[in-house]
Amino acid sequence: MGISAIQGDQLRKTYTTTRGLIRRKRKDHVALRGVDLDIERGELFGLLGPNGAGKTTIVKIFTTLLLPSSGVARILGLDVVKEAWAIRKRIGFVFGGDRGLYWRLSGLDNLRYFADLYQIPPEVSRRRIGELLETLDLKGREHDKVEGYSRGMKQRLHLARGLLNQPEVLFLDEPTIGLDPVGGRELRGLVRRLANEGTTVFLTTHYMLEADEICDRIAVIKKGEIVAQGTPSSIKTGAEDQGVVEFEIEGLPAQRIEALRQLPAVTTVIVEDRELAQVITIHCSRPGELAASLGSLLDGMQVRNVSVREPTLEDAYVLLVSG
Amino acid sequence: MTAYVRAAARAFEMSMKLRAVNPFTNFGWLVFPLIFVILGLALLGGGGRTAYAILGGGLLGYWGMAYVEGANEIQNERWSGTLEQIMGCPTPLAVIVVGKLCSSLLFGALSFLPAIAVGYFAFHQSLQNIDPGPFAVSFLVLTFAFFCMAVTLAPLYAMWRWAFSVTNGFEIGVYVLGGFMFPISHLPSWLQLVASGFAPTWAVRSLYAATGQPFGHDYALWWAVSIALSCAYLVIGWFLYRMVDVRARATGQLALA
Repeated sequence: MGISAIQGDQLRKTYTTTRGLIRRKRKDHVALRGVDLDIERGELFGLLGPNGAGKTTIVKIFTTLLLPSSGVARILGLDVVKEAWAIRKRIGFVFGGDRGLYWRLSGLDNLRYFADLYQIPPEVSRRRIGELLETLDLKGREHDKVEGYSRGMKQRLHLARGLLNQPEVLFLDEPTIGLDPVGGRELRGLVRRLANEGTTVFLTTHYMLEADEICDRIAVIKKGEIVAQGTPSSIKTGAEDQGVVEFEIEGLPAQRIEALRQLPAVTTVIVEDRELAQVITIHCSRPGELAASLGSLLDGMQVRNVSVREPTLEDAYVLLVSG
Repeated sequence: MTAYVRAAARAFEMSMKLRAVNPFTNFGWLVFPLIFVILGLALLGGGGRTAYAILGGGLLGYWGMAYVEGANEIQNERWSGTLEQIMGCPTPLAVIVVGKLCSSLLFGALSFLPAIAVGYFAFHQSLQNIDPGPFAVSFLVLTFAFFCMAVTLAPLYAMWRWAFSVTNGFEIGVYVLGGFMFPISHLPSWLQLVASGFAPTWAVRSLYAATGQPFGHDYALWWAVSIALSCAYLVIGWFLYRMVDVRARATGQLALA
Protein backbone atom coordinates (compact mmCIF):
# COMPACT_ATOMS: atom_id res chain seq x y z
CA MET A 1 0.00 0.00 0.00
CA GLY A 2 1.64 3.21 -1.15
CA ILE A 3 1.61 6.69 0.33
CA SER A 4 -1.81 8.33 0.25
CA ALA A 5 -2.24 11.30 -2.03
CA ILE A 6 -4.08 13.38 0.57
CA GLN A 7 -4.13 12.73 4.27
CA GLY A 8 -5.72 14.71 7.07
CA ASP A 9 -5.38 13.61 10.68
CA GLN A 10 -7.48 15.41 13.28
CA LEU A 11 -7.32 18.69 11.41
CA ARG A 12 -8.55 21.67 13.35
CA LYS A 13 -8.72 25.32 12.37
CA THR A 14 -9.81 28.24 14.49
CA TYR A 15 -10.08 31.74 13.07
CA THR A 16 -9.61 34.58 15.51
CA THR A 17 -11.18 37.99 14.98
CA THR A 18 -11.17 41.05 17.20
CA ARG A 19 -13.94 43.55 17.75
CA GLY A 20 -14.09 46.95 19.38
CA LEU A 21 -11.93 50.04 19.09
CA ILE A 22 -10.44 50.59 22.55
CA ARG A 23 -11.30 47.47 24.51
CA ARG A 24 -10.75 44.84 21.90
CA LYS A 25 -12.59 41.59 22.35
CA ARG A 26 -11.29 38.44 20.82
CA LYS A 27 -13.68 36.05 19.18
CA ASP A 28 -12.77 32.57 18.02
CA HIS A 29 -14.60 30.82 15.23
CA VAL A 30 -13.94 27.08 14.97
CA ALA A 31 -14.02 26.16 11.28
CA LEU A 32 -12.70 22.59 11.51
CA ARG A 33 -13.22 20.26 14.47
CA GLY A 34 -10.95 17.30 13.97
CA VAL A 35 -11.24 16.23 10.32
CA ASP A 36 -9.82 12.89 9.23
CA LEU A 37 -9.41 12.16 5.53
CA ASP A 38 -7.39 9.60 3.60
CA ILE A 39 -7.50 9.76 -0.19
CA GLU A 40 -5.66 7.32 -2.40
CA ARG A 41 -3.71 8.26 -5.50
CA GLY A 42 -5.86 8.46 -8.61
CA GLU A 43 -9.08 8.89 -6.66
CA LEU A 44 -11.69 11.47 -7.52
CA PHE A 45 -12.89 12.56 -4.12
CA GLY A 46 -15.80 14.90 -3.49
CA LEU A 47 -16.42 17.02 -0.41
CA LEU A 48 -19.99 18.19 0.06
CA GLY A 49 -21.33 20.56 2.64
CA PRO A 50 -23.44 23.66 3.13
CA ASN A 51 -21.98 27.16 3.03
CA GLY A 52 -19.67 27.76 5.97
CA ALA A 53 -19.19 24.06 6.71
CA GLY A 54 -15.42 24.20 6.24
CA LYS A 55 -14.90 22.96 2.67
CA THR A 56 -12.77 25.86 1.47
CA THR A 57 -10.83 25.85 4.74
CA ILE A 58 -9.86 22.22 4.16
CA VAL A 59 -8.87 22.93 0.55
CA LYS A 60 -6.72 25.87 1.59
CA ILE A 61 -4.96 23.81 4.23
CA PHE A 62 -4.19 21.07 1.73
CA THR A 63 -2.98 23.59 -0.86
CA THR A 64 -0.61 25.15 1.73
CA LEU A 65 -2.44 28.49 1.74
CA LEU A 66 -3.64 28.09 5.30
CA LEU A 67 -1.99 26.60 8.37
CA PRO A 68 -4.04 24.23 10.51
CA SER A 69 -4.41 25.17 14.17
CA SER A 70 -3.64 21.57 15.05
CA GLY A 71 -3.51 18.17 13.43
CA VAL A 72 -1.48 16.94 10.50
CA ALA A 73 -2.12 17.32 6.78
CA ARG A 74 0.00 15.56 4.20
CA ILE A 75 0.04 15.69 0.43
CA LEU A 76 1.90 12.83 -1.25
CA GLY A 77 3.49 12.12 2.12
CA LEU A 78 4.76 15.71 2.54
CA ASP A 79 3.72 17.82 5.51
CA VAL A 80 1.80 20.97 4.46
CA VAL A 81 3.38 23.02 7.25
CA LYS A 82 7.02 21.95 7.01
CA GLU A 83 7.31 20.98 3.34
CA ALA A 84 5.01 23.49 1.63
CA TRP A 85 7.50 24.43 -1.10
CA ALA A 86 7.92 20.82 -2.23
CA ILE A 87 4.15 20.32 -2.26
CA ARG A 88 3.47 23.44 -4.33
CA LYS A 89 5.45 22.08 -7.27
CA ARG A 90 3.35 18.93 -7.40
CA ILE A 91 -0.19 20.21 -6.93
CA GLY A 92 -2.58 22.46 -8.75
CA PHE A 93 -5.57 24.31 -7.39
CA VAL A 94 -8.53 26.02 -8.98
CA PHE A 95 -10.74 28.30 -6.94
CA GLY A 96 -12.66 29.65 -9.90
CA GLY A 97 -14.95 32.62 -10.04
CA ASP A 98 -14.38 36.05 -11.52
CA ARG A 99 -11.34 36.77 -9.37
CA GLY A 100 -7.97 35.10 -9.55
CA LEU A 101 -7.03 36.15 -13.09
CA TYR A 102 -5.40 39.25 -14.55
CA TRP A 103 -8.49 40.34 -16.41
CA ARG A 104 -6.84 43.26 -18.20
CA LEU A 105 -4.37 40.94 -19.88
CA SER A 106 -4.90 38.12 -22.34
CA GLY A 107 -5.50 34.49 -21.48
CA LEU A 108 -2.13 33.65 -23.00
CA ASP A 109 -0.35 36.25 -20.84
CA ASN A 110 -1.98 34.76 -17.76
CA LEU A 111 -0.91 31.24 -18.66
CA ARG A 112 2.66 32.22 -19.56
CA TYR A 113 3.01 34.08 -16.27
CA PHE A 114 1.88 31.18 -14.13
CA ALA A 115 3.91 28.74 -16.20
CA ASP A 116 7.03 30.68 -15.22
CA LEU A 117 5.90 30.98 -11.60
CA TYR A 118 5.57 27.19 -11.56
CA GLN A 119 9.12 27.02 -12.99
CA ILE A 120 8.09 25.09 -16.08
CA PRO A 121 10.89 25.18 -18.69
CA PRO A 122 10.01 27.42 -21.67
CA GLU A 123 9.91 24.68 -24.31
CA VAL A 124 7.65 22.56 -22.09
CA SER A 125 5.35 25.46 -21.20
CA ARG A 126 4.90 26.43 -24.87
CA ARG A 127 3.77 22.94 -25.73
CA ARG A 128 1.69 22.55 -22.58
CA ILE A 129 -0.11 25.87 -23.05
CA GLY A 130 -0.94 24.89 -26.63
CA GLU A 131 -2.35 21.54 -25.49
CA LEU A 132 -4.44 23.10 -22.73
CA LEU A 133 -5.87 25.79 -25.00
CA GLU A 134 -6.91 23.05 -27.41
CA THR A 135 -8.32 20.71 -24.77
CA LEU A 136 -10.23 23.41 -22.94
CA ASP A 137 -11.61 25.01 -26.10
CA LEU A 138 -9.86 28.33 -25.63
CA LYS A 139 -7.86 28.21 -28.84
CA GLY A 140 -8.45 31.28 -30.96
CA ARG A 141 -9.34 33.42 -27.93
CA GLU A 142 -6.01 33.24 -26.13
CA HIS A 143 -4.93 36.69 -27.30
CA ASP A 144 -8.16 38.33 -26.13
CA LYS A 145 -8.34 40.07 -22.76
CA VAL A 146 -9.81 37.95 -20.00
CA GLU A 147 -12.33 40.70 -19.18
CA GLY A 148 -14.05 39.82 -22.46
CA TYR A 149 -14.35 36.11 -21.68
CA SER A 150 -17.63 34.47 -20.77
CA ARG A 151 -18.06 32.91 -17.33
CA GLY A 152 -17.42 29.47 -18.77
CA MET A 153 -14.27 30.60 -20.56
CA LYS A 154 -12.91 32.16 -17.38
CA GLN A 155 -13.57 28.92 -15.52
CA ARG A 156 -11.76 26.96 -18.24
CA LEU A 157 -8.86 29.39 -18.08
CA HIS A 158 -8.71 28.84 -14.31
CA LEU A 159 -8.57 25.13 -14.96
CA ALA A 160 -5.86 25.58 -17.60
CA ARG A 161 -3.82 27.53 -15.06
CA GLY A 162 -4.30 24.80 -12.49
CA LEU A 163 -3.15 22.11 -14.93
CA LEU A 164 -0.05 23.87 -16.30
CA ASN A 165 2.39 21.94 -14.12
CA GLN A 166 0.66 18.57 -14.75
CA PRO A 167 -0.12 18.24 -11.05
CA GLU A 168 -0.22 14.88 -9.33
CA VAL A 169 -2.99 16.24 -7.09
CA LEU A 170 -5.56 18.74 -8.27
CA PHE A 171 -7.85 20.69 -5.95
CA LEU A 172 -11.06 22.11 -7.37
CA ASP A 173 -13.17 24.36 -5.18
CA GLU A 174 -16.68 24.43 -6.63
CA PRO A 175 -15.44 24.38 -10.21
CA THR A 176 -18.83 24.35 -11.95
CA ILE A 177 -20.47 27.11 -9.95
CA GLY A 178 -22.08 29.63 -12.25
CA LEU A 179 -21.67 27.46 -15.35
CA ASP A 180 -24.58 26.57 -17.57
CA PRO A 181 -25.60 22.87 -17.71
CA VAL A 182 -23.63 22.22 -20.89
CA GLY A 183 -20.52 23.88 -19.54
CA GLY A 184 -20.88 22.06 -16.26
CA ARG A 185 -21.23 18.70 -17.98
CA GLU A 186 -18.16 19.34 -20.14
CA LEU A 187 -16.12 20.30 -17.11
CA ARG A 188 -17.23 17.23 -15.20
CA GLY A 189 -16.27 15.07 -18.15
CA LEU A 190 -12.84 16.63 -18.24
CA VAL A 191 -12.34 16.18 -14.51
CA ARG A 192 -13.33 12.52 -14.76
CA ARG A 193 -10.84 12.03 -17.63
CA LEU A 194 -8.08 13.58 -15.52
CA ALA A 195 -8.80 11.16 -12.70
CA ASN A 196 -8.89 8.24 -15.14
CA GLU A 197 -5.42 9.28 -16.33
CA GLY A 198 -4.07 9.08 -12.78
CA THR A 199 -4.45 12.57 -11.35
CA THR A 200 -5.84 12.61 -7.83
CA VAL A 201 -8.70 15.09 -7.78
CA PHE A 202 -10.17 16.65 -4.66
CA LEU A 203 -13.39 18.43 -5.48
CA THR A 204 -15.72 20.52 -3.34
CA THR A 205 -19.21 21.07 -4.58
CA HIS A 206 -22.77 21.97 -3.69
CA TYR A 207 -24.19 19.95 -6.55
CA MET A 208 -25.26 16.45 -5.63
CA LEU A 209 -25.53 15.44 -9.28
CA GLU A 210 -21.90 16.33 -9.75
CA ALA A 211 -20.74 14.30 -6.77
CA ASP A 212 -22.98 11.37 -7.61
CA GLU A 213 -21.95 11.36 -11.27
CA ILE A 214 -18.18 11.55 -11.13
CA CYS A 215 -16.81 10.97 -7.63
CA ASP A 216 -15.32 7.67 -6.52
CA ARG A 217 -15.89 8.59 -2.91
CA ILE A 218 -17.43 11.53 -1.15
CA ALA A 219 -17.50 13.00 2.32
CA VAL A 220 -20.16 15.22 3.81
CA ILE A 221 -19.00 17.98 6.13
CA LYS A 222 -21.22 19.85 8.52
CA LYS A 223 -20.06 22.59 10.92
CA GLY A 224 -16.42 21.55 10.62
CA GLU A 225 -16.96 17.83 11.10
CA ILE A 226 -17.15 14.96 8.63
CA VAL A 227 -20.56 13.39 9.21
CA ALA A 228 -20.39 10.73 6.49
CA GLN A 229 -17.78 9.31 4.17
CA GLY A 230 -17.93 6.63 1.51
CA THR A 231 -19.02 5.88 -2.02
CA PRO A 232 -22.12 7.70 -3.29
CA SER A 233 -24.03 4.40 -3.06
CA SER A 234 -23.07 3.84 0.56
CA ILE A 235 -24.06 7.40 1.47
CA LYS A 236 -27.44 6.86 -0.19
CA THR A 237 -27.82 3.59 1.70
CA GLY A 238 -27.76 5.64 4.87
CA ALA A 239 -31.04 7.10 3.74
CA GLU A 240 -32.39 3.76 2.49
CA ASP A 241 -35.11 3.36 5.06
CA GLN A 242 -36.14 6.93 4.43
CA GLY A 243 -38.45 8.16 1.76
CA VAL A 244 -39.51 11.51 0.51
CA VAL A 245 -43.04 12.85 0.33
CA GLU A 246 -43.56 15.99 -1.69
CA PHE A 247 -46.73 18.00 -2.21
CA GLU A 248 -47.99 21.48 -3.06
CA ILE A 249 -50.19 23.52 -0.78
CA GLU A 250 -51.24 27.13 -0.40
CA GLY A 251 -50.72 29.09 2.80
CA LEU A 252 -49.70 26.31 5.18
CA PRO A 253 -49.55 27.99 8.62
CA ALA A 254 -46.42 27.76 10.72
CA GLN A 255 -48.21 25.76 13.45
CA ARG A 256 -49.17 23.05 10.96
CA ILE A 257 -45.58 22.90 9.65
CA GLU A 258 -44.38 22.49 13.22
CA ALA A 259 -46.98 19.79 13.82
CA LEU A 260 -45.65 17.89 10.79
CA ARG A 261 -42.13 18.16 12.16
CA GLN A 262 -43.25 16.65 15.48
CA LEU A 263 -44.58 13.48 13.86
CA PRO A 264 -42.48 10.48 15.00
CA ALA A 265 -41.71 9.18 11.48
CA VAL A 266 -40.66 12.57 10.15
CA THR A 267 -36.97 13.49 9.96
CA THR A 268 -37.07 16.86 8.21
CA VAL A 269 -39.64 19.17 6.68
CA ILE A 270 -38.47 21.60 4.02
CA VAL A 271 -40.77 24.41 2.91
CA GLU A 272 -40.09 26.12 -0.41
CA ASP A 273 -42.14 29.21 -1.19
CA ARG A 274 -42.94 29.54 -4.85
CA GLU A 275 -45.08 32.11 -6.61
CA LEU A 276 -48.44 30.39 -6.42
CA ALA A 277 -47.96 27.79 -3.72
CA GLN A 278 -45.60 26.24 -1.21
CA VAL A 279 -43.77 23.02 -2.02
CA ILE A 280 -43.37 20.86 1.08
CA THR A 281 -40.70 18.14 1.08
CA ILE A 282 -40.83 15.70 3.99
CA HIS A 283 -38.08 13.17 4.66
CA CYS A 284 -39.54 10.37 6.70
CA SER A 285 -39.68 6.66 7.29
CA ARG A 286 -42.81 4.90 5.99
CA PRO A 287 -43.50 7.58 3.35
CA GLY A 288 -46.45 5.70 1.96
CA GLU A 289 -48.31 5.88 5.27
CA LEU A 290 -47.58 9.55 5.66
CA ALA A 291 -48.78 10.32 2.13
CA ALA A 292 -52.03 8.45 2.79
CA SER A 293 -52.67 10.38 6.00
CA LEU A 294 -51.99 13.85 4.59
CA GLY A 295 -55.69 14.47 4.07
CA SER A 296 -56.46 14.05 7.75
CA LEU A 297 -53.29 15.75 8.93
CA LEU A 298 -53.97 18.83 6.82
CA ASP A 299 -57.74 18.84 7.20
CA GLY A 300 -59.43 21.75 5.43
CA MET A 301 -56.50 22.58 3.19
CA GLN A 302 -56.12 21.83 -0.48
CA VAL A 303 -53.19 19.48 -1.06
CA ARG A 304 -52.02 18.94 -4.66
CA ASN A 305 -49.47 16.88 -6.58
CA VAL A 306 -48.58 14.50 -3.80
CA SER A 307 -45.64 12.27 -4.74
CA VAL A 308 -43.62 9.62 -2.95
CA ARG A 309 -40.11 8.80 -4.13
CA GLU A 310 -36.93 6.97 -3.20
CA PRO A 311 -34.20 9.04 -1.56
CA THR A 312 -31.50 10.47 -3.81
CA LEU A 313 -27.99 11.45 -2.80
CA GLU A 314 -29.36 14.93 -2.29
CA ASP A 315 -31.90 13.59 0.19
CA ALA A 316 -29.19 11.69 2.02
CA TYR A 317 -27.15 14.88 2.10
CA VAL A 318 -30.08 16.92 3.42
CA LEU A 319 -30.59 14.34 6.17
CA LEU A 320 -26.93 14.47 7.11
CA VAL A 321 -26.56 18.24 7.24
CA SER A 322 -29.90 19.17 8.72
CA GLY A 323 -30.35 16.37 11.22
CA MET B 1 18.30 30.03 -10.10
CA THR B 2 17.52 30.25 -13.84
CA ALA B 3 13.90 29.48 -13.05
CA TYR B 4 13.82 32.34 -10.53
CA VAL B 5 15.34 34.76 -13.05
CA ARG B 6 12.77 33.70 -15.61
CA ALA B 7 9.95 34.15 -13.07
CA ALA B 8 11.21 37.62 -12.10
CA ALA B 9 11.51 38.58 -15.77
CA ARG B 10 7.97 37.44 -16.44
CA ALA B 11 6.73 39.34 -13.36
CA PHE B 12 8.49 42.41 -14.78
CA GLU B 13 6.80 41.88 -18.16
CA MET B 14 3.36 41.40 -16.58
CA SER B 15 3.79 44.49 -14.46
CA MET B 16 4.81 46.58 -17.48
CA LYS B 17 1.79 45.35 -19.45
CA LEU B 18 -0.57 46.08 -16.55
CA ARG B 19 0.86 49.58 -16.18
CA ALA B 20 0.48 50.20 -19.90
CA VAL B 21 -3.28 49.54 -19.69
CA ASN B 22 -3.77 51.49 -16.47
CA PRO B 23 -4.12 55.24 -17.07
CA PHE B 24 -3.58 55.95 -13.35
CA THR B 25 0.07 54.97 -13.80
CA ASN B 26 0.59 58.25 -15.66
CA PHE B 27 -0.24 60.16 -12.48
CA GLY B 28 2.75 58.63 -10.77
CA TRP B 29 5.49 59.35 -13.28
CA LEU B 30 4.06 62.34 -15.14
CA VAL B 31 1.33 64.35 -13.42
CA PHE B 32 2.55 64.47 -9.81
CA PRO B 33 6.18 65.28 -10.72
CA LEU B 34 4.94 68.05 -13.05
CA ILE B 35 2.83 69.55 -10.27
CA PHE B 36 5.72 69.42 -7.80
CA VAL B 37 8.21 70.93 -10.25
CA ILE B 38 5.86 73.74 -11.28
CA LEU B 39 5.06 74.56 -7.65
CA GLY B 40 8.70 74.26 -6.68
CA LEU B 41 9.98 76.57 -9.41
CA ALA B 42 7.17 79.05 -8.87
CA LEU B 43 7.67 79.17 -5.10
CA LEU B 44 11.40 78.57 -4.70
CA GLY B 45 12.53 80.65 -7.64
CA GLY B 46 16.00 80.28 -9.18
CA GLY B 47 19.52 80.27 -7.94
CA GLY B 48 20.68 77.34 -5.89
CA ARG B 49 17.16 76.17 -5.29
CA THR B 50 16.48 75.34 -8.95
CA ALA B 51 18.09 71.95 -8.48
CA TYR B 52 15.74 71.18 -5.59
CA ALA B 53 12.71 72.11 -7.62
CA ILE B 54 13.65 70.14 -10.72
CA LEU B 55 15.46 67.18 -9.20
CA GLY B 56 13.04 67.18 -6.29
CA GLY B 57 10.06 66.73 -8.60
CA GLY B 58 11.80 63.87 -10.34
CA LEU B 59 12.73 62.30 -6.99
CA LEU B 60 9.16 62.55 -5.73
CA GLY B 61 7.91 60.72 -8.81
CA TYR B 62 10.72 58.17 -8.60
CA TRP B 63 10.11 57.32 -4.95
CA GLY B 64 6.34 57.44 -5.43
CA MET B 65 6.48 54.93 -8.24
CA ALA B 66 8.98 52.67 -6.46
CA TYR B 67 7.14 52.63 -3.16
CA VAL B 68 3.48 53.39 -3.76
CA GLU B 69 3.24 51.52 -7.02
CA GLY B 70 5.29 48.72 -5.50
CA ALA B 71 2.92 48.53 -2.53
CA ASN B 72 0.01 48.85 -4.92
CA GLU B 73 1.22 45.79 -6.79
CA ILE B 74 0.62 43.60 -3.76
CA GLN B 75 -2.64 45.35 -2.91
CA ASN B 76 -3.81 44.97 -6.51
CA GLU B 77 -3.04 41.28 -6.29
CA ARG B 78 -5.35 41.16 -3.25
CA TRP B 79 -8.13 43.06 -4.99
CA SER B 80 -7.99 40.93 -8.12
CA GLY B 81 -7.86 37.72 -6.08
CA THR B 82 -4.49 36.66 -7.45
CA LEU B 83 -2.51 36.99 -4.22
CA GLU B 84 -3.47 33.48 -3.20
CA GLN B 85 -2.47 32.15 -6.60
CA ILE B 86 1.02 33.63 -6.41
CA MET B 87 1.52 32.76 -2.74
CA GLY B 88 0.52 29.18 -3.55
CA CYS B 89 3.03 28.72 -6.36
CA PRO B 90 6.56 27.35 -5.85
CA THR B 91 8.27 30.67 -6.64
CA PRO B 92 9.00 32.78 -3.57
CA LEU B 93 7.11 36.06 -3.21
CA ALA B 94 10.42 37.94 -3.07
CA VAL B 95 11.30 36.86 -6.63
CA ILE B 96 7.94 38.08 -7.91
CA VAL B 97 8.28 41.37 -6.01
CA VAL B 98 11.77 41.96 -7.46
CA GLY B 99 10.41 41.63 -10.98
CA LYS B 100 7.49 43.94 -10.29
CA LEU B 101 9.67 46.52 -8.54
CA CYS B 102 12.05 46.68 -11.49
CA SER B 103 9.02 47.73 -13.53
CA SER B 104 8.08 50.36 -10.92
CA LEU B 105 11.61 51.74 -10.89
CA LEU B 106 11.77 51.92 -14.68
CA PHE B 107 8.54 53.93 -14.80
CA GLY B 108 9.69 55.98 -11.83
CA ALA B 109 12.94 56.96 -13.53
CA LEU B 110 10.82 58.45 -16.31
CA SER B 111 9.70 61.11 -13.78
CA PHE B 112 12.89 63.05 -14.37
CA LEU B 113 12.01 63.62 -18.02
CA PRO B 114 8.90 65.78 -17.50
CA ALA B 115 10.60 67.45 -14.52
CA ILE B 116 13.60 68.54 -16.58
CA ALA B 117 11.46 69.36 -19.62
CA VAL B 118 9.01 71.63 -17.80
CA GLY B 119 11.87 73.31 -15.95
CA TYR B 120 13.61 74.10 -19.23
CA PHE B 121 10.73 74.91 -21.54
CA ALA B 122 8.31 76.55 -19.09
CA PHE B 123 10.66 78.25 -16.64
CA HIS B 124 13.91 78.42 -18.66
CA GLN B 125 15.68 76.77 -15.76
CA SER B 126 17.95 73.77 -15.97
CA LEU B 127 20.35 71.79 -13.86
CA GLN B 128 23.70 73.52 -14.07
CA ASN B 129 27.15 72.49 -12.89
CA ILE B 130 26.48 68.77 -12.98
CA ASP B 131 29.50 66.60 -12.27
CA PRO B 132 28.51 63.65 -14.46
CA GLY B 133 30.56 60.85 -12.89
CA PRO B 134 29.43 61.35 -9.28
CA PHE B 135 25.92 62.20 -10.49
CA ALA B 136 25.60 58.90 -12.36
CA VAL B 137 26.99 56.82 -9.49
CA SER B 138 24.79 58.67 -6.99
CA PHE B 139 21.76 57.94 -9.15
CA LEU B 140 22.62 54.23 -9.20
CA VAL B 141 23.16 54.21 -5.43
CA LEU B 142 19.81 55.97 -4.99
CA THR B 143 18.11 53.42 -7.24
CA PHE B 144 19.58 50.62 -5.15
CA ALA B 145 18.35 52.34 -1.97
CA PHE B 146 14.81 52.74 -3.33
CA PHE B 147 14.83 49.16 -4.52
CA CYS B 148 15.95 47.79 -1.16
CA MET B 149 13.43 49.84 0.81
CA ALA B 150 10.54 48.90 -1.46
CA VAL B 151 11.51 45.20 -1.54
CA THR B 152 11.68 45.20 2.27
CA LEU B 153 8.32 46.91 2.75
CA ALA B 154 6.41 44.86 0.15
CA PRO B 155 5.82 41.75 2.30
CA LEU B 156 3.97 43.85 4.87
CA TYR B 157 1.21 44.31 2.30
CA ALA B 158 0.90 40.56 1.87
CA MET B 159 0.90 40.04 5.62
CA TRP B 160 -1.49 42.75 6.81
CA ARG B 161 -4.53 44.11 5.00
CA TRP B 162 -4.29 47.46 6.81
CA ALA B 163 -0.71 48.13 5.64
CA PHE B 164 -2.01 49.85 2.53
CA SER B 165 -3.84 52.47 4.60
CA VAL B 166 -0.53 53.91 5.88
CA THR B 167 1.11 54.04 2.44
CA ASN B 168 0.68 57.75 1.78
CA GLY B 169 1.88 58.79 5.20
CA PHE B 170 5.09 56.85 4.87
CA GLU B 171 5.64 58.04 1.31
CA ILE B 172 5.46 61.70 2.31
CA GLY B 173 7.60 61.06 5.37
CA VAL B 174 10.40 59.83 3.14
CA TYR B 175 10.06 62.91 0.91
CA VAL B 176 10.85 65.06 3.95
CA LEU B 177 13.42 62.85 5.67
CA GLY B 178 15.18 62.07 2.41
CA GLY B 179 15.85 65.73 1.67
CA PHE B 180 14.10 65.44 -1.71
CA MET B 181 12.93 69.05 -1.99
CA PHE B 182 14.99 70.79 0.68
CA PRO B 183 18.13 69.96 2.65
CA ILE B 184 17.51 68.06 5.85
CA SER B 185 19.60 70.70 7.64
CA HIS B 186 16.31 72.66 7.76
CA LEU B 187 14.81 69.94 9.98
CA PRO B 188 15.13 69.84 13.79
CA SER B 189 18.25 68.02 14.94
CA TRP B 190 16.33 65.03 16.27
CA LEU B 191 14.65 64.57 12.88
CA GLN B 192 18.00 64.86 11.14
CA LEU B 193 19.12 61.94 13.28
CA VAL B 194 16.11 59.94 12.14
CA ALA B 195 16.77 60.96 8.55
CA SER B 196 20.34 59.67 8.78
CA GLY B 197 18.92 56.17 9.19
CA PHE B 198 17.39 56.27 5.72
CA ALA B 199 19.52 54.98 2.86
CA PRO B 200 17.97 57.38 0.29
CA THR B 201 18.95 60.41 2.43
CA TRP B 202 22.66 59.78 1.84
CA ALA B 203 22.24 59.02 -1.84
CA VAL B 204 20.13 62.17 -2.35
CA ARG B 205 22.78 64.24 -0.58
CA SER B 206 25.45 62.93 -2.97
CA LEU B 207 23.12 63.55 -5.94
CA TYR B 208 22.63 67.20 -4.98
CA ALA B 209 26.32 67.58 -4.21
CA ALA B 210 26.99 66.49 -7.81
CA THR B 211 24.80 69.41 -9.01
CA GLY B 212 26.96 71.95 -7.19
CA GLN B 213 25.10 72.17 -3.85
CA PRO B 214 27.39 73.21 -0.95
CA PHE B 215 27.55 69.82 0.80
CA GLY B 216 31.18 69.04 0.28
CA HIS B 217 32.39 66.05 -1.71
CA ASP B 218 32.41 63.07 0.67
CA TYR B 219 30.93 60.90 -2.06
CA ALA B 220 32.66 57.70 -0.98
CA LEU B 221 31.33 58.04 2.57
CA TRP B 222 27.79 58.89 1.49
CA TRP B 223 27.67 56.05 -1.05
CA ALA B 224 29.09 53.59 1.48
CA VAL B 225 26.56 54.55 4.17
CA SER B 226 23.67 54.41 1.71
CA ILE B 227 24.72 50.99 0.37
CA ALA B 228 25.31 49.63 3.88
CA LEU B 229 21.88 50.80 5.06
CA SER B 230 20.30 49.37 1.91
CA CYS B 231 21.92 46.01 2.59
CA ALA B 232 20.67 46.18 6.18
CA TYR B 233 17.14 46.65 4.82
CA LEU B 234 17.60 43.56 2.67
CA VAL B 235 18.56 41.55 5.75
CA ILE B 236 15.40 42.77 7.50
CA GLY B 237 13.47 41.96 4.34
CA TRP B 238 14.82 38.42 4.33
CA PHE B 239 13.28 37.86 7.76
CA LEU B 240 10.04 39.56 6.74
CA TYR B 241 9.64 37.32 3.69
CA ARG B 242 10.14 34.25 5.86
CA MET B 243 7.60 35.61 8.27
CA VAL B 244 5.01 36.49 5.64
CA ASP B 245 4.79 32.94 4.37
CA VAL B 246 3.89 31.72 7.84
CA ARG B 247 1.83 34.64 9.13
CA ALA B 248 -0.32 35.19 6.03
CA ARG B 249 -1.09 31.48 6.02
CA ALA B 250 -1.86 31.43 9.72
CA THR B 251 -4.40 34.26 9.60
CA GLY B 252 -6.02 33.19 6.33
CA GLN B 253 -6.22 36.77 5.05
CA LEU B 254 -4.69 36.21 1.62
CA ALA B 255 -8.08 36.05 -0.05
CA LEU B 256 -9.43 39.11 1.74
CA ALA B 257 -9.40 42.40 -0.17
